[in-house]
Amino acid sequence: MAGPDARSGADLVLDRVTKEFAGVPAVDDLSLTVPAGSFFALLGPSGCGKTTTLRMVAGLERPSDGRILIGGDDVTHTRAHQRPVNTVFQSYALFPHLTVLENVAFGLRRRREPDPLGRARQALELVELPHLAERRPNQLSGGQQQRVALARAVVNNPAVLLLDEPLGALDLKLRRQMQVELKRIQTEVGLTFVHVTHDQEEAMTMADTVAVMNAGRIEQLGSPAELYEMPRTAFVANFLGQSNLLRGTVVENGGALVGVDVGGARVRVPAERAVRTSGDVLVGVRPEKLHLLRDGEAVPDDCNVVGPGRVTDVSFTGVSTQYQVEVPALGTLGVFVQNLLGGAAVGLGEQVRLACAVRHTFALDGDDDVASGVVALDESA
Amino acid sequence: MTRPLPRGVPADPVVRALVRAQLASRSVSRRSVLAAGAGSAGVAALLAACGTGGTPGGQRSGPVEDRSADEKQVRWANWTLYLDYDDESQTYPTLERFTEQTGIEVDYAEDIDDNDAYYGKVQGQLANGQDIGQDIITLTDWMAGRVIRLGYTQPLDKANIPNASNLLPSLQDVSFDPGREHSLTWQSGFGGVAWNKAQVPNGIRTVSDLWAPELAGRVEVLSEMRDTVGLIMLEQGVDVAGEWGDDEFFAALEVLEQQISSGQIRQVKGNSYAEDLVSGDALAVIGWSGDITVLNFENGENWEFALPEAGGTLWSDNLMIPVGSPHKANAEALIDYYYDPEVAAEVAAYVNYICPVEGAREAMDAFDPSLAENPLIFPDDATLARSHVFRALSAEEETRYNDEFQSVIGN
Amino acid sequence: MSIVSALGHGQGGGGTSPAVAAPRRRARGGAYLLLAPGIAYLGLFFVIPVVALLVTSLYVPVPGGEVGQFAPAFEWRNYTAALATYWPQLVRSFAYAFVATVAALAIGYPMAYVIAVRARGRPFLQGLLLVLVIAPFFTSFILRTIAWKQILADESFVVSAIRAVGLLPPDGRLTATGFAVVAGLTYNFLPFMTLPIYANLERLDPRMLEAGADLYADGPTTFRRVTLPLSLPGVVSGTLLTFIPASGDFVNSVLLGNTSTTMIGQVVDSRFFKVSDYPTAAALSVVLMVAILVLVIAYVRRAGTEELL
Repeated sequence: MAGPDARSGADLVLDRVTKEFAGVPAVDDLSLTVPAGSFFALLGPSGCGKTTTLRMVAGLERPSDGRILIGGDDVTHTRAHQRPVNTVFQSYALFPHLTVLENVAFGLRRRREPDPLGRARQALELVELPHLAERRPNQLSGGQQQRVALARAVVNNPAVLLLDEPLGALDLKLRRQMQVELKRIQTEVGLTFVHVTHDQEEAMTMADTVAVMNAGRIEQLGSPAELYEMPRTAFVANFLGQSNLLRGTVVENGGALVGVDVGGARVRVPAERAVRTSGDVLVGVRPEKLHLLRDGEAVPDDCNVVGPGRVTDVSFTGVSTQYQVEVPALGTLGVFVQNLLGGAAVGLGEQVRLACAVRHTFALDGDDDVASGVVALDESA
Repeated sequence: MTRPLPRGVPADPVVRALVRAQLASRSVSRRSVLAAGAGSAGVAALLAACGTGGTPGGQRSGPVEDRSADEKQVRWANWTLYLDYDDESQTYPTLERFTEQTGIEVDYAEDIDDNDAYYGKVQGQLANGQDIGQDIITLTDWMAGRVIRLGYTQPLDKANIPNASNLLPSLQDVSFDPGREHSLTWQSGFGGVAWNKAQVPNGIRTVSDLWAPELAGRVEVLSEMRDTVGLIMLEQGVDVAGEWGDDEFFAALEVLEQQISSGQIRQVKGNSYAEDLVSGDALAVIGWSGDITVLNFENGENWEFALPEAGGTLWSDNLMIPVGSPHKANAEALIDYYYDPEVAAEVAAYVNYICPVEGAREAMDAFDPSLAENPLIFPDDATLARSHVFRALSAEEETRYNDEFQSVIGN
Repeated sequence: MSIVSALGHGQGGGGTSPAVAAPRRRARGGAYLLLAPGIAYLGLFFVIPVVALLVTSLYVPVPGGEVGQFAPAFEWRNYTAALATYWPQLVRSFAYAFVATVAALAIGYPMAYVIAVRARGRPFLQGLLLVLVIAPFFTSFILRTIAWKQILADESFVVSAIRAVGLLPPDGRLTATGFAVVAGLTYNFLPFMTLPIYANLERLDPRMLEAGADLYADGPTTFRRVTLPLSLPGVVSGTLLTFIPASGDFVNSVLLGNTSTTMIGQVVDSRFFKVSDYPTAAALSVVLMVAILVLVIAYVRRAGTEELL
């Protein structure tokens, strides 16, 4: 049983946890392990079950099935106030009737810790707000409230610290700043952070490990680079960054490379980057991994080539130029080209071929929905 | 003072209870305005009261011209449910007939539910001799006495009211209006004792019977000073209609005080003691005859009313014509009409109070003999002889006695 | 804190951001115009009567004058005399109102809590419970109180039952007692207590409770440290809406009490209507008004500035 004095940095294990609301599963047979002292992100679109998962860890929801262990102790049947877990709530949920200092000291007082105010002040120093200790929460800006909420949770030295979309209410610039700040604090206090977010960039910036959730399940779990470079589902490929996914059929396998027929073109995929090595697959490639080949340009070594196709859109974004290329029988592919030389090199309507290094190509299950996980415009902000 | 329900209201006891409660609430609810914000209470009356400070009966304009001949109308302020009413046609049959016979339109208003409150409302205008919008007002003896004393009424021209001779002899000369120059009785009632026949099998014969130990905490008396103190004074051998003074009054008040502080008297109540008789909280009371008549009619013949052996009180409500009324002759015609025995009997059959009109009993005999024999509507001479009208008090006495009485009953 | 701000005190949260402050300031002149009807109304129906009351309270009787006849004067002794005579009724009124307020709080708070917090997300149940709270208002105050008398009559089964279990002596009674008056006050003002607390708790952010639980506070502690302090504005409104009218009430005392339960409102009524002693009635009204004002200000001050519980 996890006593209130459970020390920081415990690992968190979810063992086949299911949560149903009125018979509809919000979290479906989910298992994962968060190593002690790591910064773990649960990433997914709204409604994917990530917040429900977090709330079950906090003790604010009871799992319909499965177990939750913190530092090896089964806490499934303990109440929220008995768990060595603290939460930074999405809207901060600061107590409006208490000063900032008393808000931070709240948990310490409940556990009758010595010197609650002194430690609360230290926590406020950690978030660089000691001068606001006597204010009321509603006298603070959003960013300041966010830091107070963080201090209020961190000060208790919880075994696991849960962050529920903690930066969601902040504007973009402040959010970037706080991401760095959060990471610094996590490194400094060495607690286990479980961070729930729908912002893939936020998850990748801060987390050691990211679990991508969809429809109550974990689609894929790994380091940000791993997830990005080698997505295992169409959902992850689309949700984390962007991907060009092309339908194809495996026509050759057995070696280190799998040969796939994509709309009549032959494409090679490393076998270890293919979820399936037979039958229907989706061949994927990130837009920035594609090169535009103008008429007569040589094909680099170890590259797959498709096309020719026609450039239907060119948009200059500063760092890169984004092209849309319509390739007959394959559809439209996106291409990002670094503006290494300045300006757009390829014009609208030009005929180009597209090349991509074989080692950057991946193959997914052909039954996956090509559009799954494509971030809707209003959610990508 | 409460008015019992007339027979005309629905027979369903629940509905009757509701009607009754609504009636009771009228007088209380206007006062609850006072209660809710005692700060801003009874402003109209208060402002009127301020006016009292001026010259009483002072700036009187000359006598009002009687425009009765030109304006065939008369306006009458009466208590609620105090005139025969036909639910179906929603009219007052006797009034309709008066208009048919005389061509005088009657504007009848159930404006009065408390002597003091009504007085507070119209007193300012009366003091200035203005028309208060009524040609006839109906007030209880002592208030009628005050209004007459202050010169707020016009003398009645008996030549216009030949039927006035039908007034019962016992009511013809009253101390507050000797010779009935300014007023005529509308209805009367007895103050006496009443008891629950099952619980008090031996009955109540005297006021002292109320103080029996077995009735401790189950006795209620009226918050109307003249009835409660009057009955005790009668018990002590004082003629309340005659000459008496402080000694007699305070001797009676002392008895009341003693019975209240000993807990013998449960409550001192205005119009709601009847509910306590029904609920059984009160077994014996000082009460009014009309209430008991109605109570028995509604709830079975469980109670009995009697004048104590030493005598009971007799109070009346009196018709008067206020100073500013421009329709005096019309008003007198109306009063004369209601002193017709036939008409009076019709009203008595409805309101259940003592009918002050000689000959009404015989008229009643013709259509409802059982009512004609009810001694609380048509009391016999012996009964009348045992009932007494509380003598008129001077202003100083009224203030002082009321003051003392109110403090004894906890106010 | 002023009374008004105590009554209108919300739940904290979003302060005025500078962005909205500017246009608001511009609208202010026009906004004050909106007060005009209220000021006119209160001027006519509150200020003038209060002045009349103050003036009347200093009148003296006209020597040898008619009943209820008084002359203008500055007789301050009307106040000392009224207080000397009627202090028991005044003290009793506040004592009854206080006990009734405490009782209404003890009954009303849990009701409001269940309706607002426990029944949250079940609109039908919430609606039903709210209707039950308000339902007594659908019948007249007087009728309800009269019904009460029947229920608590000496011969009723309620009283018999209470006697049977020995809570009342065999000849004990419930009506015509101070207990009945306080119970009647409590009952009649209960919705005034319940509804403001409900309105307040209803807006209580459930995440506040979760935050409490998350920070190691068990149910009772979360209630004491979070819910209760946050609902204090509702409690303050409810207690004021109960205490103030209850202190001036007399219908309950008239119908349910007896001569030893007289409240100050009854005295004012009797002074005014029975004895026509307008100066004393006015003086008592002024005293009541001032006493309530002082008590309320002291109370609101305390509720507003104390570090809440």
